[in-house]
Amino acid sequence: MRIVCPFCGERELGEFTYLGDAKPQRPAADAGEDAVYDYVYLRDNVAGVMSEHWYHGGGCRSWLKITRNTLTHEISSVEPAAGVGAAKVGV
Amino acid sequence: MAEFSWSSHSPLEHALATGVHGLRGTEAGVSLTEIRNFDLIQVMARRGKWAELARAAKTRFEVAAPDGPNAVQAKDATLIWSGPDQFLVLSKDGNHAMNTLAPAFSGLASLSDQSHARALISISGAKARSMLAKLSSLDLHPAVFPVGAAAATSIDHTSATLWRGGDQPDGQAVFNLLVFATFAESLWHTMLDAGAEYGIDIRYSEELA
Repeated sequence: MRIVCPFCGERELGEFTYLGDAKPQRPAADAGEDAVYDYVYLRDNVAGVMSEHWYHGGGCRSWLKITRNTLTHEISSVEPAAGVGAAKVGV
Repeated sequence: MAEFSWSSHSPLEHALATGVHGLRGTEAGVSLTEIRNFDLIQVMARRGKWAELARAAKTRFEVAAPDGPNAVQAKDATLIWSGPDQFLVLSKDGNHAMNTLAPAFSGLASLSDQSHARALISISGAKARSMLAKLSSLDLHPAVFPVGAAAATSIDHTSATLWRGGDQPDGQAVFNLLVFATFAESLWHTMLDAGAEYGIDIRYSEELA
């Protein structure tokens, strides 16, 4: 498997580290214990297209948001995760 | 107050033996030259300051700072891309050392002195690309990796900055490699193994290629 880093270009899988599902959003401070538990521990086991965070640690050290089909490994989009690079705050 | 006396040593001084390694009796296919005593500063733009930093860099170096995987040659420095909104400044003789760069980029960038944290190895020769092909998954063909191309990558599981410098007078490509000092010896031995079949001419130099 190869990933096209938006900054570096096409690179081998060994340069990347997988974090996991990019969907969970940190709950508000007063959201309660159940919401925090869900956010920290509960994950869907998606068979199909899924949004994921990957880290290009063996390259430009950027976090990436990747849309990947877990059945075929087809990658349909790769974009910088929010806040990557000083010029891209909040993207 | 304690007095300190610092003397810098090459991270490769125990591993590097000048002369020929591997195949003999023919012209060495690979040339490995360690470059010693350089200044290397990591420059990372502060939040929202890349455009301003790029302008300040243009003023100082009279060339545009790399905004993608490239290495740019200035009059007395090389600017090497190392990730989004950051680059390395490689120079000699204190022209662009920490004490002069810090005021130039004050408020625009965070600087980190890497001069003694990396080893710099220059790789050339007719078989340089064949040797590197054993260790790197990058396509280093001139059509894809021309003069001035740079990459933040991993070589033999070790993070490295690789870029193509200006060609030698005979037209041969020169690949420059920055590697963490503590990994340099390991990668050096790996390169010796990879290049032994071509013959390796080993040197060190005080001059930037």
